This record gives sequence, structure tokens and C-alpha cells, in this order.
Amino acid sequence: MITFLAKRTVTLVVAVLLSSFAVFLIPYVTPGDPVRKIIRSRVAGDVVDDATVRALGESLGLNDPLPVQYLRWLGDFFTGDMGLSHISRTPVVDQVMPALGITLSLVFVALGAAVVVSLPLGIVAALKQGSKADKLITTVTQSFIAMPEYWLAPLLVLVFALKLSLLPSAGWNTASSIVLPAATLALRPISFFTSAVRSGMIDALDAEHISAARARGLSHVQTVMRHVVPNGLVPLSTLFAAWFAGLLGGSVIVEVIFAIPGMGRLLFDAVVNSDIPLAQGGVVVVVALAVAITTLADFLHRILSPKVSGALA
Amino acid sequence: MPTRSGIKRRRFPLRTPSRSTAALGLAALLTLSGCGLSGGQPASTEKVADTNQRIVVDNFRAPVANWAPESDAAYILSLSGCLETLTKYDSAQGKVVPFLATEWKQASPLEWDFTIREGVKFQDGTDLTAETVAASLNHVLQAKVPARAFSPSVVSAVKATDAKTVRVTTPVENPLVPFRLASVNTGILAPAAYGGATVDPFGHCTGPFTPVSEKAKQSLTLDRNENYWGGDVQLAGAEVRFITNGATRAAQVQTGEADISLSIPASALSTLENAPEVSVLKADSPRTATLYMNNGRAPFNNVDFRKALRSALDLEALAASVYEGAALPAAGPYAPSEPWASSDASSPKQDVEEAKKLLADAGYTAAKPLEIIAIVERAEFSDVATVIQDNLKNIGVPVAIQAKEYASAEPDVLAGNYDMILSQRNRLIDIADPIGFLTADYTCKGSYNLSHFCNEEYDAIIAEAAGTSNTEERYKLYAKAGQLLNDQAVNLWLVNEQATDAVRSNVLNYVQDPLSRYVLTAQTAKSGS
Repeated sequence: MITFLAKRTVTLVVAVLLSSFAVFLIPYVTPGDPVRKIIRSRVAGDVVDDATVRALGESLGLNDPLPVQYLRWLGDFFTGDMGLSHISRTPVVDQVMPALGITLSLVFVALGAAVVVSLPLGIVAALKQGSKADKLITTVTQSFIAMPEYWLAPLLVLVFALKLSLLPSAGWNTASSIVLPAATLALRPISFFTSAVRSGMIDALDAEHISAARARGLSHVQTVMRHVVPNGLVPLSTLFAAWFAGLLGGSVIVEVIFAIPGMGRLLFDAVVNSDIPLAQGGVVVVVALAVAITTLADFLHRILSPKVSGALA
Repeated sequence: MPTRSGIKRRRFPLRTPSRSTAALGLAALLTLSGCGLSGGQPASTEKVADTNQRIVVDNFRAPVANWAPESDAAYILSLSGCLETLTKYDSAQGKVVPFLATEWKQASPLEWDFTIREGVKFQDGTDLTAETVAASLNHVLQAKVPARAFSPSVVSAVKATDAKTVRVTTPVENPLVPFRLASVNTGILAPAAYGGATVDPFGHCTGPFTPVSEKAKQSLTLDRNENYWGGDVQLAGAEVRFITNGATRAAQVQTGEADISLSIPASALSTLENAPEVSVLKADSPRTATLYMNNGRAPFNNVDFRKALRSALDLEALAASVYEGAALPAAGPYAPSEPWASSDASSPKQDVEEAKKLLADAGYTAAKPLEIIAIVERAEFSDVATVIQDNLKNIGVPVAIQAKEYASAEPDVLAGNYDMILSQRNRLIDIADPIGFLTADYTCKGSYNLSHFCNEEYDAIIAEAAGTSNTEERYKLYAKAGQLLNDQAVNLWLVNEQATDAVRSNVLNYVQDPLSRYVLTAQTAKSGS
């Protein structure tokens, strides 16, 4: 287990460094001058004076060689300083943390709802394998995969905000503000989670240890609850972690449509505006969190899965 | 021109957009909703202002530069009724009027004196004086990313000459200094606003509303300034929300979550025009969608060829289809409503035979397809490019379309390595006068001369205009310059875009500003029902 933890720590550091370097390079490898992008984000319009570009680049240290810029950022980072945003000149950490808190809340509620919905659906579908209920659940949840957020979000706004006046159409002000964006984010995971639970349970139902359990005299309900359902949860834990990690920075469409100032929007704006310190700081936090979550999921996987536990033992 | 319940509409008449194209995404869904909810406009009734009411405004822009007044954040502070300037451009009157300065005069060819209004207090209780005004303006002058309207290149010094006079000195004679001091970037803040590492406008403006709290990237909350110098403020307060998605702004004014939504996208207009309790206001904006042509290289260096392309386009159909009636066919480089536009300018009509004749005169042969760059930042440009491609195909000019981010296209365009690019410009981006645009975009040494046009006669007109103090005379020169650009078919001016705001019926005394600089004023009110 110590080896496992050591490997994971190395993975975390390497992932953070690689991703921060990749983000650092984006403004330089995409067309257009990074300094002009910074200026445009502060003062909209097309005319950018050359002297201003040179002076700002100098004051922000953007005229230095790329390795120097990156190593400078790295040195600051290891002393706990994520630097100042190029656009707002405020500490990066002051922008990243509130945005992260908002996105964590949104993603947690969305995926929590997805689990609550998909768990019973997956269990029913597995236990009634091949029945009409199974086919209905499978067909309906699979159709969610084809519903992109940019289509689903306006549909939910139309029904629940415009027609029924039950929920706010956008913003992040009250508890009800989270419902529509979370529902938008939850739908596709529901499809994957339901399928995973169903498959995991069907595999378990066919396993030898289930037959052995039955032979020991356990009832059907006892067998299912003790040996089948936990097996359905094994793939779910891994999927949950993967979706959680993905949505931390990948909920940008939902955040734009519902005017939520979360991490997705923050990182998107930072990259578009060449706000390199903000993009780097944000990505470092997201990647670190994502690696931590997937590591946690691996632990859970080992605890829940008899096969893996056995292998470890 | 009040139209109902105190809502004042600009002099530009409302028009009913056609529905020739199907809307997508939310627009389509909102259209469905609009059909279901449509009930036409409510009966006009006299509504009374309730001074306990608060108002919600959905703005299309979020502040990114930590409220630095030299940045675009100044627009948000100005529209919110916080930030005020020495002068103000009244677009209805077409002239600069007093604001925090009561009068001004040109003291010498390079010096302008502004008399500061007496009895004005900042929201922190300190007095507005010539010294505080000069300090505030000097802060803007020293910004690392200076405002175009007020930078060291156009203003060399600002100082208080006595207790109530501020002198602005320019490097060369400049009759437009009062216009520059109407730019929201020259908004005046109290000295305490500049005490920290960044500028803090909270409690330091002079306007009818004082900011009290901010939710980062979400909203700004303001309360009534009880001591406003401009009279009683009719609202208890306001919330300005930063909603960058146009469809969301449209939805919020329809549900009543917002009282005013600025800059409604064309795709949502028909829905809102059918929504009860909502009015859609339109005004000409100083933006014209333009097909820039590279006048510096063949075949665009031949005026007959450029005119041929102009004759080939059907601008009426373009405005009706792609813009769904939310834009008007352009008649040249200016919108017809602008005071410097020629009164007899008209939109060019499609004439395919004339276009073919001009092509023949130009000796054009379709050796290879010409390229149109459609910048992706403006989603409608891909459709506009397709319409143009079809129009030009009819006269035998093959065109290929390339979608690019503006930032990636700009280096080639400025260097002259392109054929055509679809873009648009705010003519009044610097000040409420087109001199900056006409100089930068069309003079031989213009810093933003995308079309690579160079004409000595034009340059002479602009030089004369830049030194002409008499507004009427200057506008005549602008009209002459515009006519020359039109005669030379320097570019293909396609449609004049409209500023569109949606306002709920309980909002009173709202006056639409095409540039969204002034939304909340002391007079803005809301009825209790």
C-alpha cells in the first residue's frame, strides 16, 4: 500500500507539472499575440497600440524567454504563491478558490443526484434482465447520452422557469439556483451510471461465489443485498470519480448558460484571454483534485471489490 | 419621444422582424414559449413610481479588470449610475452637454479649461474639487493599458489651476477634448478610491447609485445615493447582473427575474416582441457589419471590381434572413441616423447585370477563388459569408470561406496578406465622434487600416476635420469623407446593427442608450405593480 501511495504521489506531481506547462504554452502556440489578447480583454476593441503592447509585455515579464517564465512561476508556486492575474492584477488564489467551491457544489449535487437516480434503475434492470422494465430503463437512459448540455439547458429553462415559473433561469443566489444546472449535468452520468450498475450486478449474479452463497442457504434478497449490489457499486465508484474529475473543469457550457461563476468558466476565460497565471493556477488545482479523487476511487474500488481485495491480500 | 408608461424610445422606429429563418437552441425554444404565452402588449395605463422599488438589470459584460476605470469596467460603473464624467454626450441632441463640469472653454490652442460643478459630493462625503478631478484624470493617464479616449498620446497634462478649474493640455490643437471627457473611462472617483494597490469604486463615485456589494463575476448591488447632486433618486437600489449569454438575458426579462436586459440577440427578438409585459427597444448602433477588401492588391485594387462586388450583393435579403430584421441594410460607412451621415445616402440595390459589366470593365478573370475570412467571434458571420458567396457566384466570382478567430487572422490582415474579411467596428469606440475611426481605419498611415486604402484627398479631408472646432463644419467634412469612401467602394458595408434592449412594463423613464453607457439614472423608476 505504501508503494501504491508513493506511486500516486509521483503521478500527482508529474500530472500537475505537465498540465501546468501545457497550459502555459497555449497562448504561445495559438495564433495571435498573448499580450494583445490581455489588452483586448481589458479594453475591448481592435486597435492596440504597439508601444502599449511592448510596455505591458515588459511589465508582466512576458518578454522573457519561455523557460525563464515557466521556472519563475514554478519557483513561486513551490513557495505557495500562485501569482497575480494578468488581467485583474489580483491574487490568482482569490479567484480560483471561490470558483472551485461553486463548481464542487454543483458537480457534487449533480453526480449525487445521478447516483440516487441510477442506482435503483440499474438494480431493477439487472434483476429483471431482459424484461420490459429492463428494456425501458436501458432505452430511456441510453437516450440521455445523446442529449448535449447546450440543448438540454434551454429546454429545462423553458419548462421550469418560463412555463412553470418554479425555478430561476440563471444565477447562483439561492438554493434553488442549483437545481436546473445540476439536472443538466446529471442526465448524461445517469445513463453511464445506470449501465455500469446493471452490468456489474449481472456479472455478479453469474459469479460462482453467488451460487455458493445460495448453496449456503441465503435467501435471494440476502444474496442480492450482500453479494450482488456491492458488485454493482464497484464500477460506479470508478465512474463517479472519473465524471467528478472531468466536470471540475468541464462544466463550462452549463456555467455560461446558467451564469454560474465556476471553474469551467474561469479556466475558459483565462485561456482565451491569455491570463497565464490564472490558467496555470486553476489547472493545477483542478488536476491535483482530480488525481486525488481518482486515487480515492481506487481505494474504494479495492475495498468494495472482493476480487481486487483478494489480489491485494 | 415617450411611447407609453414613461418609457422613452429613441428616434429610430420599431420594426417587426421577419421570421424567415428558424431559430436554434434556446431561441427556438423561447419562440415556442412565446407562442404559448403571447398576449400582445398590455393596455397602456398610467403607472406611478414607487420609490421603495429595486431594479434588476442584466448586462452583457462582466468586469474583468478589477474595476480599473481605464478598462471596460468603466462601462459597468457608468451604466449602473455610479461613475460620472465631466461632460456627457447626449445622443438625442447630438452634442456634448455639462455633467460634473458646468462649462468649458478653449483657453489657448493647446489648453482647455473645465469649470467643476459646485456642491457635488462623492459618495464617501468628501467634496468634488478641481484637485480631486485632476488627480482622478491623472490616474487614468498613467494607466499601463491606457484608455484610447484619454491617453498620453492625446492628452499631455491635467492640472487644477484654481479651486474650481481643471486645465487639460493637449500635444496638438484638438477641438474634441470635451468629447474625450465624456468617455466613461474618464469617470471621476474620490481620492480614497486610489488608496490601495487597485482602484476601489465602492462608495467613491458621484452618481445616483452607490455600489455596496459585489458577487465576483455575478453581480453588483447598489443603493440609492441619498445625497445625489442631480436630484431625488427614484429607486431604492439596483442589482446589475453580469449575464454574458444572450439567450439567458432574454429568458430573464421574460420571466421577470430581470427588469431590463441589455443587448438582446436577434434570435430571441421575435419571442420577446410577443411576450406580455415586455417591450423591445431598438436603436441604430454605431456598428456596421463590413466586408473589408484588401485594396492594396489585385483584383481589389481596381475600383470597378470593388463596385462590381457591391452591385452583386442583395443587402435587403441579407438583413432579413441572417439578421432576422434586427439590422438594416447599410448605406455606406455610417448609419443614416448619425449626424455626420449624408442625408441622401441610400442602400445599394442588387444589380447583377451592372455587376457583370463592371467586372468586364475591370478585366477580371476567375483564375482562382477569392477568400473570405469569417471571424468566429461573431456567430452570424458564417451565414453572412455564405450569402455573399452565393451572390458573388451569380456574377462569376468564386469565393472560398475560411472561419478563423480574429486574433489569428489579424497579423495577416494588417500585413495585407488577405483578400476579404468579415468584421465590424464600433465607430464611436474612442469618443462620440468618428474622427478616431476615420483616421485609424482609412488614412494612409492609419494604425488600423485593414483595407489598406490610401488616398491623398481623403487624408486631407480628415486632417482638416481634426482641426475644425465648429461641429457643423466638422460633420460636413466627415460626410465628405464618407462619400469619398463610398464612391471608391473601399469596403462593402453590409448592415447597420441595432442596439436592442428588453424592458418590462413596470420600468419607468428608461431611455435607451445605443452604447449602454447610461442605464440607471436618478430618473429611472419602477412602479409597484
